[in-house]
Amino acid sequence: MTVAGHIAPLAETPPALRPVFRWGTVASLLLWAIVLVLCLVPFVLVLVISFGHKVEGAGWEWAFTTENYLRFFVGASWPTETTFLYVTQLYWSMRYAVVASILAVVTALPFTYLMTRQSRRAQAMWLVLMLTTLSLSEVFIVMGWDIILSNNSGLPMLFAASGLTDWLKESGWFDVLREWGLANPRNVKFKTSEVATVLTMSYLVWPYAVILLYPALSRLDPSLAEAARTMGARPWTVARTVILPAVRLPLMGTLLFLFVFLLGVYVAITVFADPSQHTTAVSIYENVRGSTLNAPFGAAQSVILLVTAAVFLLLGQRLSRKSQGPA
Amino acid sequence: MSALSLQGICKDYGEARAVDDITLDFPEGQLTALLGPSGCGKTTLLRMIAGLEVPTAGTVTMGGRDITRLPAHKRKFGMVFQSFALFPHLTVRDNVAYALTIAGTPRAEAAERADKLLDLVQLTGLGDRRIGQLSGGQKQRVAIARALAQEPEVFLLDEPMSALDAKLREEMQVELRLLQQRLGITTIVVTHDQREAMTMADRIIVMSKGRVEQAGPPQEIYHWPASGFVAGFIGRANFMDGVAQDGKIVVCDVALSLPKPARFLNGSAVQLVCRPEGIRLGAAKTAVNGIEGRVTFVRDLGPVSDIYLDTGLGKLVAEQSADQSRGLAVGDTVQLSLPPDALRIYPGPSAAQAPTALAAE
Repeated sequence: MTVAGHIAPLAETPPALRPVFRWGTVASLLLWAIVLVLCLVPFVLVLVISFGHKVEGAGWEWAFTTENYLRFFVGASWPTETTFLYVTQLYWSMRYAVVASILAVVTALPFTYLMTRQSRRAQAMWLVLMLTTLSLSEVFIVMGWDIILSNNSGLPMLFAASGLTDWLKESGWFDVLREWGLANPRNVKFKTSEVATVLTMSYLVWPYAVILLYPALSRLDPSLAEAARTMGARPWTVARTVILPAVRLPLMGTLLFLFVFLLGVYVAITVFADPSQHTTAVSIYENVRGSTLNAPFGAAQSVILLVTAAVFLLLGQRLSRKSQGPA
Repeated sequence: MSALSLQGICKDYGEARAVDDITLDFPEGQLTALLGPSGCGKTTLLRMIAGLEVPTAGTVTMGGRDITRLPAHKRKFGMVFQSFALFPHLTVRDNVAYALTIAGTPRAEAAERADKLLDLVQLTGLGDRRIGQLSGGQKQRVAIARALAQEPEVFLLDEPMSALDAKLREEMQVELRLLQQRLGITTIVVTHDQREAMTMADRIIVMSKGRVEQAGPPQEIYHWPASGFVAGFIGRANFMDGVAQDGKIVVCDVALSLPKPARFLNGSAVQLVCRPEGIRLGAAKTAVNGIEGRVTFVRDLGPVSDIYLDTGLGKLVAEQSADQSRGLAVGDTVQLSLPPDALRIYPGPSAAQAPTALAAE
């Protein structure tokens, strides 16, 4: 389990403050209490545990030590030996999340734009379909992709059977694929590879991308694009100079949302990524529930992942405010 | 010479026909108004001229060249949209310079031309403003300047005044007309407002249900409407249903004379139309088309008054100048006449539907 999900909701409406005793006030206080207990307490616990001390061969004890954070950045044997294993894992977390979220947004944007130009009925059908795919769990989606990309029964088998593999070998593309890590000496292979990981992760968040971009694109006045066309703008120019600038903020928001969401992906990474390219989320699981069992270190990694997400959100906000300019 | 011409243009949306077999010429340098109620197909027609819609049938030619399937970005037609469609992420100057910028005009040159266009539409010095900082009238001027930036061959405006308040609308109508005359640019304006069309247009095309009802100069359309629909849509009119009898028209047992004997078979249902200002009121009964009426309501509008009358022909409204209507009060009995010259005659509704059935009588 990742701890990234325990972010306290930021947009809670403050309870109305009234001088007189009212049941409404009690209800809203109660609501606040529930929110605090459910969202903040687990997070505070994680934060506290991240400073705890692991007892070798046993559990952990309350303490205030920075050894877990130190271990994350320079390794457990520092200063005798310095390793960047955990920083590398964080790098992979960010790399996968950035590439997959960009891929999802770049492909979802034209799709959603074209969808908003359809009839109301068609739009509703597409949206329902999108919402339906959201109900599929990550495990289920990864299983599907696992079958599609598996070496013995998926696309590689199809490649070999259809003669595409032979053609690739003859045309010289096979060597290129091998260089990219997408082929073994005999056939193409997608497991394990970064391509498969990123593809699956994009697929995972693609419906979110569509649903998040949909309101902005459907509100876009079609006459904006038409006006550009009457002024000599080709379709690509219209997209670049009118549509993209008009949806810049929602685009940025979607990208950030998907990025933060993808930082916590676990199943897709364990199935499709090479162990040397595993992420912080996988490491957290190993420490909290898996073989390593080092809750304080897992908690420290969770806090670092959370801070990373927060930094990106802040940067995004800063960037969009800057590009918006004075109103 | 006609710059732009349409031949047999049709547009279907599924089963519904929005534009039905329209053939029109738009003379070079003139302002033509496409006038009609909402849903009459005028905006669809304009969009086909702009290249934003492809006609189901027919051809659009420009200077003899077939441009029916030429996409909008390859036509040099400037268009002003009902919502103005200004780009909110660009400044006023960048909006106006848009056509030039995407065509690769150097930045400084494009900005200079944009400023000149802003001078032309009386927005000097507002180039650095953002679109959100402009009033409705200013936005419209920016939209006009922006559409003119590419020096279009045809200037198209889709309900350009509908987002403005009444007072500003009248000012902008005059201003736009003066600008159009100064530039001598072939212009087509879509409007549902007959006053707007009368103010601006050299020629009005009245449309209804996807068809052209009448095309001609404003005065001709007003004084000689080609159909009862046009008479009712342009200006106000009194409508009377009658029957043709020996060259006269009988309305509620009153036989009315026309300048020339009506060319309708005896017994044909016809519709008589008389403008309110065509009705004469007086103390003495006139020999031709004279009838008595009782005043039911006086609507004093200042320079003129509308006199609502109950007559042997039914309820009528007569427009009188302030002098003529002085002293008239509700309940007064007056003599009114409908001069034959003021009467227009059209086939009656039932006759238009089934002309043969009534002709037999």
